Amino acid sequence: MSIFRLGEQQPPEARRINDEVVMRFEHVYEVDPRLMELTGQQSMPAWDTQRIVDGRWDYLDWMHDHFADEVLLAGEESETMEGRG
Amino acid sequence: MSVAFKSAIDDAVLDELRAIIGDDDRVLTNLSSRVNRTRVPAPFPVHRWAEHMPDVAVLPTSTEEVSEIVKLANRLRIPVVPRAGGTGLADGAVPLRGGILVDVKLMNRIHEVDLVDRTVTVGPGINMLKLNEELRRHGVFYPDDPASYPCSLVGGRIGAGGWSLLGARYGHTRENVVSMQVVLPTGEIAQIGDGGGRKLRKSSTGFNLKQLFTGHQGTLGICTEATLELAPRPETEFAAFFAFEDYASAWETTGILSKSGLATIAGVVLFDEWKIAYLRRDDEAYIEQPESVRAVVAVAMYGRRVEVEPASKVVMQLGRSAGGRYLGDEISSGDWASRHDRYAIPLHGRSTEGQAVPMSWHCEDAALNYSALPKVREAWHAIVARYRERYEIFDDWGMFAYTGGANKPWADYLVEIDVGIWEQRLNEETWSAWVDCKREIAEVTLAHGGSITACHGATRAGDAELVPTEMGTAWPVVKAIKRALDPNNVMNPGKQSLDEAYE
Repeated sequence: MSIFRLGEQQPPEARRINDEVVMRFEHVYEVDPRLMELTGQQSMPAWDTQRIVDGRWDYLDWMHDHFADEVLLAGEESETMEGRG
Repeated sequence: MSVAFKSAIDDAVLDELRAIIGDDDRVLTNLSSRVNRTRVPAPFPVHRWAEHMPDVAVLPTSTEEVSEIVKLANRLRIPVVPRAGGTGLADGAVPLRGGILVDVKLMNRIHEVDLVDRTVTVGPGINMLKLNEELRRHGVFYPDDPASYPCSLVGGRIGAGGWSLLGARYGHTRENVVSMQVVLPTGEIAQIGDGGGRKLRKSSTGFNLKQLFTGHQGTLGICTEATLELAPRPETEFAAFFAFEDYASAWETTGILSKSGLATIAGVVLFDEWKIAYLRRDDEAYIEQPESVRAVVAVAMYGRRVEVEPASKVVMQLGRSAGGRYLGDEISSGDWASRHDRYAIPLHGRSTEGQAVPMSWHCEDAALNYSALPKVREAWHAIVARYRERYEIFDDWGMFAYTGGANKPWADYLVEIDVGIWEQRLNEETWSAWVDCKREIAEVTLAHGGSITACHGATRAGDAELVPTEMGTAWPVVKAIKRALDPNNVMNPGKQSLDEAYE
């Protein structure tokens, strides 16, 4: 169970991924705010970001289950991301 | 004979509609009900919204109600526009001349599940996802799977003659509709199928009318009931994504996979360099991929585990046979799952200054043979680049090519170029530019022996006027059929250049 602590809801500082993308939470990519001047962004507490990310994974799992009883994987790592962490 | 239309809805007509429906809440004349049934997700002339509004929207609940509505419209020469989910990427469900919009969403019942002869009979307002939730307990499913799977409805799929993500294995909409009940443009009710049987898949009696009534874009009638195929629910799904350093290798691999003879292959998808560049902007699966990833091929299989598991090993070999590198289990399974629902994505593009802006999605969906893909790709991108250079509303989101042949995936492809359109900046000049851009793209398709649409329908300005060209010597036949079935041109008028049938 996660506990809501107000002090933990401020998103951390973004780190740059590339010229157009930043990251505040692990594996959560964001369009660089410099490119969002014409499209306003609302500030979002950490729990809400996590809720949306978790919801996305739940949705993909649901979709797999909807179409087949099981998902068979090749069981192999990415051959393009080798050595990239 | 010339048949011209203008709206003819007055209080007397509304009174007749209310008498037919018997429930004033299902005869809607208020502004919001009509506005919400005007456009579809595709780019829309928002600066001329009012021109496309229906005069009244009705929500029938039975075939008899639809029949009486259409008889009324035919008697008074009022346009009728059928609409199901309104999720199309062309204008099949968009009124061009006002009139009566027949919204079939309340006709959403499952009438019969026949597990012996393997059919399910439904109303046209049911959604495939909801239908399959019900069918799951029987161990069967209805295998029609568009990118709008969670929100599009059976009636719209039949009207559009839709393409399915799983079509290589299970067929597309027209293969999965066994028969249907249709209200013709004069209001008569007809049972349409292969021959006369409601549950027969193959007959040589009379004409094969089922094909005629699948994909007419609502111009030949309104489907009010459909008997659909039931396939065994897949036991196992397998998806694999392969990366390539150049388009040519990816194209070659797409051909290798689609011609492999593996019967469990449900679809092969080719992503070109522009598509990868687009995904690299802000799609989690592609942002951190190295620059050497310039094209991708995805393949998915469904079936029994005894079929899929050995075939998966062959796919892994074939996917690498021309230089492909496996993108890993996480992307392969996750990205494939997301392909069932492309409407959940908040669409945005980049202005010419690089700013993220909301855009609507123009998806040009030609049918092309495998051999034509490389040249068409170059020509299409050149067209969009030229327009983007001149107008800020365009953004090139890249191209996909999907296996398009039902159960025979080896030669035909649904080829799409996705173009973001910044609707907030639309005006007469930019709208005309978009229509011109669309027409140029369609002309390239025809020049390469293709068809200007494989799924969405040629109902929009920019390609509707090319339908006679594409149909060629068959165009007089098309016009004769339209004129015979719809003598007063009331059924979804203005689409596919069918007004020529009345000249």
